[in-house]
Amino acid sequence: MEKKNGNTSLITSNQLRWFYYLVPVAALIIPFVANEYLLWIVNAILVYTLVTVGFNIIIGNLGQLAFANTAFFGIGAYTSAILMVYGGVPYTLSILMSAIVGGLAGFLASVTALRGIRLYYLAIITLAFGELMRWVYLHGDDVTKGSDGLRIPDDIFFLGIPLDSEVPKFFVFLLLAVLLVKATSNLMRSRIGRAIVAIRENEATTASLGIHTARYIVLAFVWSGSVVGVAGAMFAVLTERVLPEAFGLTEVIIHFGMVLVGGTGSIVGSVIGAITLTTLPEYFRQFPGMDELFFGIIIVLVLLFLPKGIVSLLWRISPAFKERYYRD
Amino acid sequence: MDIFLQLTLSGLSQGAIFALIALSLTVVYRATTIVNFGHGDFVMAGAFFVYVLVIYVELPYVFAAISAVLIMLGMGLGVSRGFIDPIKAGPHIGFAMMSISLGYVLRGGARFLWGREVFPMPRVFDIEPFFIGNLVVTGDVLFISAIVAVFLLIFFFIFYRTTTGVIIQAVYQSERGATLIGVNVRAFHQSMWGVGLAMGALAGILIAPISLLHPDLGATFLIRGFAAMTLGGFGSLGGAVVGGLLLGVAEQLFGFYINSSLQDITAYLIIVAVLVIRPAGLFGRTVTVRV
Repeated sequence: MEKKNGNTSLITSNQLRWFYYLVPVAALIIPFVANEYLLWIVNAILVYTLVTVGFNIIIGNLGQLAFANTAFFGIGAYTSAILMVYGGVPYTLSILMSAIVGGLAGFLASVTALRGIRLYYLAIITLAFGELMRWVYLHGDDVTKGSDGLRIPDDIFFLGIPLDSEVPKFFVFLLLAVLLVKATSNLMRSRIGRAIVAIRENEATTASLGIHTARYIVLAFVWSGSVVGVAGAMFAVLTERVLPEAFGLTEVIIHFGMVLVGGTGSIVGSVIGAITLTTLPEYFRQFPGMDELFFGIIIVLVLLFLPKGIVSLLWRISPAFKERYYRD
Repeated sequence: MDIFLQLTLSGLSQGAIFALIALSLTVVYRATTIVNFGHGDFVMAGAFFVYVLVIYVELPYVFAAISAVLIMLGMGLGVSRGFIDPIKAGPHIGFAMMSISLGYVLRGGARFLWGREVFPMPRVFDIEPFFIGNLVVTGDVLFISAIVAVFLLIFFFIFYRTTTGVIIQAVYQSERGATLIGVNVRAFHQSMWGVGLAMGALAGILIAPISLLHPDLGATFLIRGFAAMTLGGFGSLGGAVVGGLLLGVAEQLFGFYINSSLQDITAYLIIVAVLVIRPAGLFGRTVTVRV
C-alpha cells in the first residue's frame, strides 16, 4: 500500500492519509453554515455511511451476495428503541447493545453461508431473513407497536449531551461514523481483512493456504452486522420513530445501490455512495416516482460506464486512492 | 373437508401464477445463469401495458394482451443486448444490481406517469361462479388455470418435443459445445431474456384483473417466484411449476388453519426452510459449496 503506489502520482499515500483525517475535521464546520433541513440530510449521510461501509464488507470484500443488511439495520434500530423506551437505558449503552445484537444477527446470517449456501441462494435466503424480521416488527404488537412504530423518548443523552436537535446529533453521529470507519479500515488492512479479500478471490486456494475460511466468513458477517447495527441505533434517533416500513425490500436495494455506485470493496467508495444516493434523490422527492427513476438510471449508468464505482474516477487522479490489500 | 378443497382450489389458481413467474425466472436463469432480481417490475410493466392499451388505445383485451406480451419480448431482447451484454465480463453482483435497477426504472416510470393511484383493471370474462359438488368455481380461477395449463403444455411440448427445444437443452448443458455445433449463443441468451420477460408479462396480465394494479405490484410476486423456484429446485423447469403450485396451496392452508398473518410470510418461511434443510429443493441438483 505505502511506497509503490505513490511514486508516479501527484499525491502519495501518506499525504492522502492526512487528507482523510482532514475530512471529518473540515466537516465540523457544517453545523455553523447549514440549516436544520440540510443538517438532517448530512446526519442521514452519516447514518448511511456506516450502513454502506458495513454492507461493503460483505458485498465488496467478502464478495458474497448477502442481503441481510436491512435485517441488521432494523434489528439495530429496534434494539436501541426498545431498550430506551421500555428499559430507560441510556443511549450510549443502547448503541453498544445494538452493536452486539447486530453482530449476533450477522452471526446468524453467516451460518447460512457456512452451510455452503452461496451466490443467488444466499441472496434469496438473506432477503427472506430481512422480510421475516419485518414481519416480526409488524406483528410484535406489544413490544414494537406494529405499523404505528415505536416512538423514541424526547430526552435522550449521549454522554451528557442532550440530543434534542440536529446539531448535537451531528456531532455524535460524526464521532460514531469516524470511529467505526477508521476501525473498519484498520480491520480490512489487517491479517483478517486480507484473509476476507482472499476468500473473495478464491475460497479453495485460501483454505489450502491454511486459512480457516469459515472463521473469517463469520467474522466478516459479525463485524458487518455490528457496524450496521450501530447505524440502526443512529437511524432510530435520526427519525425519532422506528417504523417497520423503513426496513423493507426497497431499503436493502438502496443500500446495495450505495455500495455499487460508490465502489465495491472500497471504504472511500462507500462514503461517496452514501453521499450520492442520500442527497440526489432528495431533490426529486416532490414528483412521484422520480426518485426511483433517477435512482435506477444512475445505477444503470454507473454499471455500464464506471463498473468499479464513482471512486474509480479518483483513481484517475491518483492511484493512491486505490485501497489495495494485496499486490497484483 | 369442503373448506380444505375450496382452499386448495384457490391455492392452485394462485399457485398457477407463481408457477408462471418461477418458470419465467428459471428460463432466464438456466440460459444465462443470471437471476433477474427486477423480474417483479417487469411483471408489473406487462400488466400496465395491457391497462394502457385497453383503456387509452381501446384495444380489445385479447389484442392488448398479445401486444403487451410482444412488447415485453422486445424489451427482453433489448435488455439483454443493451444492458447485460456490456457487463458480461463483470462479477455476478453487477448482474443482480443491473436487473434491480432496470426494474426500478420501470417502477419509477409507472409511478411518474400514473401517480400514486391504484387502478382497478376491467374484468375480462364475466363468467358466473358455478358449483362442482360443494365447491365454488369462480370465473377468474377457471380462466387463470386454463390459460396457465394451456401455456405450460405448449411450453413443455416445445421444450421436449421439438428441434428448438433440443437446441435449448443443448445450450443449457454446455454453452461451448453448443457454440461448436453452430448455435449462436449470444442470440440465444437474448431470446431467452425475451421469452422470460414475455412469460412474466403473461403472469402480470393474469394477475391484474384479480388484484389491483399499482407500481409496487411486482415485489410480492418476485419473492413468491423465488420461493417457488427454491422449493422446486433452483434451475429445474418442472420444479418451478410444482413449487409454484405447492406454494399457492401452502399459503392458503397456512393462512386458514394456523394464522392469517402467516399467509404473507409462507414464502419466506419456505425459502429459509428449504435452503437450510435441503438446498437442492425437490427436484434440483446439489447447490452448496464445500471448502
